[in-house]
Amino acid sequence: MSKLRAIIGYTLAALAVPLVLAVFMGQSFWMKELVAATGVKVSPWLTGGDVIRTISHDEYQISIHEQVFQGLLSEKKEGLVQVDWKPAKNLPDRIDEDIDYDGDGKNDFHIALDTKSNQAYVQSLQTGVIGLEKSYVLKDGQAVRVRIKNPRK
Amino acid sequence: MSVLEPEVNITPQKSRIPRAVFLTLPVLLLSGLMIFQGSIPKMGPDLIAKSITFLIFNVVFFLMMYTGKTYKYRATLFTIIAVCFSIGFISNLIAIRGSMAIDEAHMLAGETPFCHLVIPVILIPAALTRTIIFPGSLLTGFASIAGMMVLWLGATLALGRGWCSWVCFFGGFDEGFSRLRKKALIKKIDPRWNYLPWAVLIVIVLLSALLLTPVYCEWLCPFKTVTEFTKITSFKTLVQTVIFISLFLGLVVVLPLLTRRRIQCGLFCPFAAFQSIFNKINIFDIRVDQEKCKYCRKCVNECPTFSLNEECVKEGRALMSCTKCGKCVDDCPRGAVTYHIKGTPVKLQSDTARVLFLYPAYIFMTAIGGSMVVDALAKLIKLATTGSMI
Repeated sequence: MSKLRAIIGYTLAALAVPLVLAVFMGQSFWMKELVAATGVKVSPWLTGGDVIRTISHDEYQISIHEQVFQGLLSEKKEGLVQVDWKPAKNLPDRIDEDIDYDGDGKNDFHIALDTKSNQAYVQSLQTGVIGLEKSYVLKDGQAVRVRIKNPRK
Repeated sequence: MSVLEPEVNITPQKSRIPRAVFLTLPVLLLSGLMIFQGSIPKMGPDLIAKSITFLIFNVVFFLMMYTGKTYKYRATLFTIIAVCFSIGFISNLIAIRGSMAIDEAHMLAGETPFCHLVIPVILIPAALTRTIIFPGSLLTGFASIAGMMVLWLGATLALGRGWCSWVCFFGGFDEGFSRLRKKALIKKIDPRWNYLPWAVLIVIVLLSALLLTPVYCEWLCPFKTVTEFTKITSFKTLVQTVIFISLFLGLVVVLPLLTRRRIQCGLFCPFAAFQSIFNKINIFDIRVDQEKCKYCRKCVNECPTFSLNEECVKEGRALMSCTKCGKCVDDCPRGAVTYHIKGTPVKLQSDTARVLFLYPAYIFMTAIGGSMVVDALAKLIKLATTGSMI
């Protein structure tokens, strides 16, 4: 029995080198497999979530992200919705826009964004909108996150 | 025979050189492939940097094989890698962004490089929400999340917590500072501090899961001082900056200098605690031959990560926090402490176990550290010749 354990021990120890080589030589393959097998994405709290709708103006485009309520075990009572304006070079000095983030045909909030100073003002038009969370300067544009109530909670 | 009198059989000088050369050959081949990546660059900083790196890594491995000693060569190279990592990383950031500070635009774009220290805090949210609570890129760009996860999985299976002495590109900082003084000014450290990394681990894992943000990165990681940090735009980011700089100075610089121990790695790092769990499934460990050991306590007093105490020495094995750095093996005056393969007898073939451990550990060190040394050397050569690193 002890001899068998020793043989298994040495075999596993010797396999450490091929394992390491397999990791480095197949790293890009394993990376894709890992992501595909687990189906993970970067948290929508960090990315703002997937873009669900885009609205084109003459020179710039508005992207409305999905509503984010993700919690550890169940959805949170409050979340956010992110709206982006791109590209930066075509943005007017001031943006005044009504946004319908849930696509129900009713505007949910009005946003006034000073693109020079990155100051934003949000006016709620529906009860589900709490207010401005933060405005951001993106690499090629600007974004605003608005705090909203979860309609399912 | 005195307790401190050596009882180690040393192979005669003549036969040690061919054996060391023979054992270095696989590393010579693999390090060449990894460092030169299949092509020799034209004469210039890149070729010089790659050639020096290739030489350093192979000389160090040869010396490990020739002398039979591990720790001092590994620790020196480990420190060089950490310093080179910071030089390369910071100069790249300055070249790309113009600053070590990362702003919200880059974070929202998923351009924060992922590092292994975040792994313990992302696992519960990943399992329950199928999302990663880190503002990085899954597959693309520098230090992608999936890329680092694959490296971590491979290294964890092959080395267990050996990661912390052979792979971690931050560990070399406190290792370096811990070796600067010849004698420790603080010798007695309450063993209850050994529980601190576990406490930090539990707190940050739970908080990160509840808040769905990487709490350790945001508030506690001392290595932001030598890599990148959130741009100071508010009182919150100012407090975060004060905390991580203080932790770096305290845990990575001052306390290792005073104690000659790796305080950050041994008594604070939550990833280190997490990684200890995988020592249980790893095939390599450190054992103490009870017939040779005279309980002189040298290994207990010298272990950089507090992974040996009287009880575990009497039981003949290191604690699960052992990083397999080799210090106890090298320092034991009677050769009683050895690298060991689980399932094999402790007394036999101790150098076989050491060599079998050193190969995967060193290949990992070369693959990850080699590119960092090349990058830093090339930039330093550029600095010396053009006056600019960028």
